[in-house]
Amino acid sequence: MANAIHVLTVDDSKSMRALLRAALSSRGYEVSQAEDGVDALEWLTHNSVDVIVTDINMPRMDGFGLIDALRAQARFRDCPILVLSTESSDEKKARARSAGATGWIVKPFDADKLDQALRRVTH
Amino acid sequence: MFQNSSPISNAARRTVIQGEVMIGSGRNEILTTVLGSCIACCLYDPMARVGGMNHFLLAEPHGGSVQPLDEHYGLYLMELLINQMMAKGAVKSRMKAHIYGGANMHVGMTRIGDANAKFAQAFLEEEGIELVRSDVGGNSARRVDFDPVLGRARCRIVEPVAAPVPKPNVRAPLGSGDVELF
Repeated sequence: MANAIHVLTVDDSKSMRALLRAALSSRGYEVSQAEDGVDALEWLTHNSVDVIVTDINMPRMDGFGLIDALRAQARFRDCPILVLSTESSDEKKARARSAGATGWIVKPFDADKLDQALRRVTH
Repeated sequence: MFQNSSPISNAARRTVIQGEVMIGSGRNEILTTVLGSCIACCLYDPMARVGGMNHFLLAEPHGGSVQPLDEHYGLYLMELLINQMMAKGAVKSRMKAHIYGGANMHVGMTRIGDANAKFAQAFLEEEGIELVRSDVGGNSARRVDFDPVLGRARCRIVEPVAAPVPKPNVRAPLGSGDVELF
């Protein structure tokens, strides 16, 4: 998939991962997936992506922990990270913003809006 | 009778309507709902003694046919239920599930209830959540009472008139899917 935007989606729900893969693959993205923050960090040790889309509520390491861990590494300081969550409180958004998230999307996601956001942050 | 018995006379009753998720407060209470084609999924974590119920309809009658399944909406309500329970100390891998409803109420129409029930069963299987009790299908309305602390449920057949008529456009809250770039 030459020139395709490579997205890592991080979500503990297998059903949500399947839905994200279907929505993004059909729009031309290269999609990689992780089950939680620990899984994502391990995968990113050996791989790189153009953008990360992460859930917040996950076992082992949640989305906030993942953003903190990634922003502490020089190679991920500028990688766009979008949160995709059922949460929508200002408090949680502020926490994500201060950790270094690039944006916040409220579930259930609209595939076209997600597509637009991904293209905008990777432009 | 409640599964495993249990009187409910002193319990407060909280009604869960279509499109809602409700988590037990930890007090003596019963979550209750009436279902036709809709599904109610009751989840509980027996160790944390935390439980909750949602009530959703994915496929709806529309001009004599049925709209396609809106899996986003079902996933949203399932995830909301799981996340709200986790916020109260439940652990997803310990959760047990009951599903009720999914009746085919409209004679001669596509089996909407079956489609809703299949979605719920597939979700639980995919997420590795054990389904311990299921009463779905048929063509009768049901009333479900669920004790969220003990994980006990009672499901009774009721007169169809008691079942809420599915309302179109009962969907996720405004703002869902919206993008906010920082």
